[in-house]
Amino acid sequence: MTEAASILLTFLREAWMALAGVFLAFALLAGMAQLLRVGSAGMLGSNLWVWQSVSALLSILVLGLFAFLGIPQVVRALQDSLPGAGGCGPISELGAFASGLIGALAALRMLKAAFASALSASIGGAGAFAGALVESAEALFGMLLAAAAIPLAAWFLGAC
Amino acid sequence: MFQPIMDQILALSRDAWAFMAGLLIIVALLGGMYYILQGTAGAAFGGSRMTSMAIVGVVGLVIIVLFAFLFLPQIGEMLKNFQPQPPF
Repeated sequence: MTEAASILLTFLREAWMALAGVFLAFALLAGMAQLLRVGSAGMLGSNLWVWQSVSALLSILVLGLFAFLGIPQVVRALQDSLPGAGGCGPISELGAFASGLIGALAALRMLKAAFASALSASIGGAGAFAGALVESAEALFGMLLAAAAIPLAAWFLGAC
Repeated sequence: MFQPIMDQILALSRDAWAFMAGLLIIVALLGGMYYILQGTAGAAFGGSRMTSMAIVGVVGLVIIVLFAFLFLPQIGEMLKNFQPQPPF
């Protein structure tokens, strides 16, 4: 069980690093595109377009900071609240395996949601932006529910 | 496992960055030319407002280009330094 968890977590860690790298590259490209838009809109005298681009640029920056500074802290806090070993024997191993996997999947899901929201912010899709933030909140509440469910399951299956 | 895909995406991103930087330079040069034309035309027939707007436009364009080429890479470096290790 421990080896399986280790393999899965290594895979998910690599996925996290890849997603963070793509997020960074995309944020920079989106920033450059918005600046190009600001330049051309300013030349045409389109004030609204300029303000839209400036706000999109700022929102991409804020989402990037949230993704890189906020999400790891949230995930660490929630992982600390997940009970790793709610029993003894196979139940304990299963609990540790489940809590590690739930934390990793929720972290990846939140990063993916932040990436999707940055994508929506750069192209001005408010609906997709809201959907991505809802997905992030879902991952958060999923972890909170798991924090409550794991001890209950351990108790039901017979904790030591 | 994800490294080959990452390499491909980063190569594409670098190309896209170079393309957009080049496009920004072209747009800025064309915009600068347009403003200079506007300013000289304004000066020629005594349109002081037109000339001053053209000067302000050129200055704004220069600021935007400087922002793009100096500030954006710094923001990228900052975000790269903040790039988190997996929290699990």
